[in-house]
Amino acid sequence: MKRSESLIPGNQAGFGRRFFCLLVVFILISTKLSAGVLVAPTVVFMSDKNRTGRINVQNPTDKPIEVTISFGFGLPESDSLGNVKVVIEDSNVVDPRSALDWVRAFPRKVLVPPNGEQVVRLVARPPQNLPEGEYWARIIVRSQQGQTTIPTAGESDGITTTLNMIIKTAIMLKFRNGQMNAELEVTNIQTSRDDKKLRVIVDMANHGNASYLGRISCRVLDADKKQVALAGTDLAVYRNLKRKLEMPYVPGEHLMPFEVEIKITSEGRTDIAREFMVFGNEINRVVYLD
Amino acid sequence: MYKFCKSTQGLTVLIAALVIMVCAPMAQAQDIANGSATATVLAALTVTAGTLVFGSVYQGVSKAITNDNAAAGVFSITGASGAGVSMYMQLPDYVSITGDSDRMVISFSATDCNIDTAGVSSGDPTAFLAANGYADDNPHNLPTTNFDAASSIEIFLGGTVLPTIDQTAGAYTGDIILTVAYDGT
Repeated sequence: MKRSESLIPGNQAGFGRRFFCLLVVFILISTKLSAGVLVAPTVVFMSDKNRTGRINVQNPTDKPIEVTISFGFGLPESDSLGNVKVVIEDSNVVDPRSALDWVRAFPRKVLVPPNGEQVVRLVARPPQNLPEGEYWARIIVRSQQGQTTIPTAGESDGITTTLNMIIKTAIMLKFRNGQMNAELEVTNIQTSRDDKKLRVIVDMANHGNASYLGRISCRVLDADKKQVALAGTDLAVYRNLKRKLEMPYVPGEHLMPFEVEIKITSEGRTDIAREFMVFGNEINRVVYLD
Repeated sequence: MYKFCKSTQGLTVLIAALVIMVCAPMAQAQDIANGSATATVLAALTVTAGTLVFGSVYQGVSKAITNDNAAAGVFSITGASGAGVSMYMQLPDYVSITGDSDRMVISFSATDCNIDTAGVSSGDPTAFLAANGYADDNPHNLPTTNFDAASSIEIFLGGTVLPTIDQTAGAYTGDIILTVAYDGT
């Protein structure tokens, strides 16, 4: 009993220390946060039959945030090395598939309270005689801390600096007019390796009138059919795209040559409801890497 | 003994409350209609930011905050595992005093950024390990990357302010803008 009595304060002190550390970490994380936003869903689908949509904007912080909704245009684009970027344009967009000029959001500016939520409604007013096909825009959700406090210098000769952290989340909007189809073609595959990574670059062209949404995966096997590496990512091909997949490996650990299995499919997307998927063709290719 | 149990229960309740406070925003990512017993699960993209803090700066003395300093700026991005994400950062060339009567140069070098793609730094710039992402990367040209199993990417940003010898004393402000977009939707 005496022993247990002597242990209890120790346990309590240990527990207290752990609790204190947790509290400190929590406070540090809380005080460091100056802005934040959660946007859902990550892609909005509208059509000639349903010209309205919505996104939910949440404030995950304990301070109010100022949210502004605007529209831009930006498709995934790739460079010669297969790196994919989304470059957002907000003016002088001449792409015939741009929906930028005829989609609107309500409200366009709102103050979201701490841990609060705001629904933003979207309306499309497409021009008459719009050709069949899919049209695109990016919904730009701009958020920053709502209560802008003018910083004050601490001393008479002091200089202080405050940087406003502003977040822009660009969500894809797709307006579908008529029957949709997505037909993907793999036009080229390049493979390479260095002393750390295996690289596969796949050139793709979409011949459909809707974007091809799916997943691209790659499995590398050695000469004994043992798996060397595996990689995969979500895929969106609007027109042409060169996509790189990189996989770490240890040189000399596996018997060459490597067999590279590439699979592209519209299945396996968990972020998009099946009712919104335009299921395209599946592609399976095998290439070799020496 | 009773006193101890009581205090332990109290601490447990406090910890539970903290956990709920931290987790509540994540849980809200689901649009749930309890009354009709239906639920719509929506994929979400969350970005939070913690500011880059220079503290007090003195005339004629430049001050740098490294990307592994606790005062470094932090952007935390949470999304769907396996999705590719494109990020673009707009950085100011200067910060200005209220009323724009004076400006102070701020610079971001090609090595001022650490990017944790494994999501293991928990928002702490000092906890970043090069093996978990991109070390000393260029904030002017962020790499395209994928959310791995942790579904979290963290960007730690350092920078330097360069006050002149006759820099007007006062409070200076500027904007750092991060644009985030999925490249697979």
